[in-house]
Amino acid sequence: MGPRWKGKGAEAKALADPMSKIVSQLRLSFIESDLQGLLSGCIVLLEANAEQTDLLNRACFGRPIVNADKDKQWFQLSMEEAFYLCFALKCVKIICNDKWLKNDEEFWSCMTPKRANFHNLCIAYSHLRMKNWVVRSGSQFGVDFVAYRHHPALVHSEYAVLVLSGKDENTNGRLRVWSDFQCTLRLCGSVAKTLLVLYINKNGNGVVFPSCLENYSVEERMITRWNPEQSRENGTK
Amino acid sequence: MEDGERERLRFSEGRNDWGSDSEGSLEDLVDDELCYSSGDIPKLQFRKDVLKARWIEELGMAEVLERKGKMWTTTGIVRDGKLYCSIEETLFLAEIGALHILHGDDTYLSLKDLYEKVAKGTDGHGCSWESLEVYRHLKALGYIVGRHGIPWTSRSTKTNSIAENELDVTSCNMSSHGILITEMFDSLQFSEVRPKFEVYSPNSKFKKSSPGSPCFLLCLTSDHPPSKQAMEDLETRYEGNCIKFCCVEHGRVSFFSFTKVELPVLP
Repeated sequence: MGPRWKGKGAEAKALADPMSKIVSQLRLSFIESDLQGLLSGCIVLLEANAEQTDLLNRACFGRPIVNADKDKQWFQLSMEEAFYLCFALKCVKIICNDKWLKNDEEFWSCMTPKRANFHNLCIAYSHLRMKNWVVRSGSQFGVDFVAYRHHPALVHSEYAVLVLSGKDENTNGRLRVWSDFQCTLRLCGSVAKTLLVLYINKNGNGVVFPSCLENYSVEERMITRWNPEQSRENGTK
Repeated sequence: MEDGERERLRFSEGRNDWGSDSEGSLEDLVDDELCYSSGDIPKLQFRKDVLKARWIEELGMAEVLERKGKMWTTTGIVRDGKLYCSIEETLFLAEIGALHILHGDDTYLSLKDLYEKVAKGTDGHGCSWESLEVYRHLKALGYIVGRHGIPWTSRSTKTNSIAENELDVTSCNMSSHGILITEMFDSLQFSEVRPKFEVYSPNSKFKKSSPGSPCFLLCLTSDHPPSKQAMEDLETRYEGNCIKFCCVEHGRVSFFSFTKVELPVLP
């Protein structure tokens, strides 16, 4: 399944305005203004000016919080988005209990995570964002993320992403039995997305909180159903 | 096999879910169970030319006695000039009324006898009921299906078969039956996931003497998908081959691919 652009001219618009450039502009602007975020539970709150608001929207990070304030716009960043902006792009400082979080170790210990595999979710999110894919929550489809080739206003998401641990003991219990696959694949198909599984492997010795993204490797696998009735006309594959 | 027969066979297996692979299909597709009312179950047409084979118990295979017709280009293995069918091939042909199976000199095996052979014993001659369902599903659609690791002829140029010299009848003291027993035993499912079948696309030019590479190797699984480690082991062992997994539930056969990919870096 290739990209499904929304309307004529969408693809051209996307080509003319590459996501890497938008993100890089965002990064510079945030660094210049020394932007700080406030950690609250498992989300990070950001107060953004007009330029930053525009960049956050164009790069598709966070959700704006609608309020009456005319000058500033508040955004809430998910745990994965905050992790990426703070530790991969290094353009946001996160404050928790009146002190800055200096590294990801502190981030993870300060946060009250909702999911057992929250490390892996952050790594998976960063992995895709670093390739300039736009990544948003996939909870409405029963998956971890959905990945877009550009801004969701221009294109439908192509991939429904599930994050699993690379080790055999699949601690988050996803995709354990065939009916899990049948269910997820059925859903993905009915919303025209391909199921992508990301296996996160910790490299080297087992330190509980590795200190940087380089300590992980990510393996991508596409899971598809093969239909023998359809394939025999088109040639098997 | 004729198209009409193929269609009828497909119906008899129950409708398949046309599901998630369809390009851009967003509607909920019709995949209701096909339930029959009495008198409604389709019957396959009685064939004019019914051929004969003889069941050989120690091999768990049938030796084909009459080799007329085109179906033998894609069914059965050749050893020492003789043609043998596995239990799944035998059953498939018996079900469509194309083969009568002799037992000894004068009695014929009924479908019941054949089903009992699959049901009995620890391995049912290397074919569980699920394997049979998978074989039948693909064969009825025109695919060419062989047991993995069993060459089509003793002169096939497959590289992953049992060592060539074991099949060289002239230099070996074993009878062709003996060689076959070894081959069939070795192809039995082990506890780890191994490919069960090799599948070739429907092709009228298929030649047993040089079948080429299969489209994919098919692994049967139980109630759960293969672990990541098992998948990687298979990919290493059978490098260069496409591997698919299937699961059979309530008579429905589903096929899955777990393809390694790398999403492109976007601009």
